[in-house]
Amino acid sequence: MNRIKIMFFATLKEKAGTNETSLEIPQGITVGEFKEWLFGRFPNLPKSKSNLLVAINKEYAFDQEKIPDASEIALFPPVSGG
Amino acid sequence: MEFPTIFSITEFELDLNDLIARVTLPTTGAACVFTGVVRSVTERGDVHKTLELEYEAYAPMAEAKMHQVADEIRQRWPQVEGIAIVQRVGTLQPGTPTVLIACTAAHRDTGVFEAARYGIDRLKEIVPIWKKEVGPGGEEWIEGEYIPKFGD
Repeated sequence: MNRIKIMFFATLKEKAGTNETSLEIPQGITVGEFKEWLFGRFPNLPKSKSNLLVAINKEYAFDQEKIPDASEIALFPPVSGG
Repeated sequence: MEFPTIFSITEFELDLNDLIARVTLPTTGAACVFTGVVRSVTERGDVHKTLELEYEAYAPMAEAKMHQVADEIRQRWPQVEGIAIVQRVGTLQPGTPTVLIACTAAHRDTGVFEAARYGIDRLKEIVPIWKKEVGPGGEEWIEGEYIPKFGD
């Protein structure tokens, strides 16, 4: 298993009920597989995959990418700064 | 001379004059500054009133992405000298400056206007900051429209 740090921001923080947690995920899964896994773990997250952005170690990550060991993963909606 | 690049997420009031001074060099003759402000009355689209905005950021990634935006500006407009990109977070009242983008150059026909415009547009696409709008009828997270692509 791969222990990762997960952070939620904005509306996802409220829906997940936490802003940060540490979890074990299966080794070698992709970002797309991780999203599916996450929906099982946090059933209140919105199921629209396109509006669930993922950053791994502070860079945007896409569905086909594998998640490296001990990653810091951030989950958030499309940004709205300014 | 090294050109100054300032990028930060801050909880403190934006000091516009200080930020402009920090990107002004002896060779600078033009400074283009954009600042966003909390608007209390929205008349375009969904007409509504805003009591305050609550900003949140994933600060380490936000500052890394601001640095990336500054690099993109320098690639596109090599005559730009100083660049400042600063976002204030926390609960902000109407009339308050929320963000500042400042680009400086020797002259105004160097792309400084376009560079500052690009800076704010790009910040709204890729820099991880969000705002929750508090209005008379309740509160709501504002969601952006841009979905990042490979290379963003």
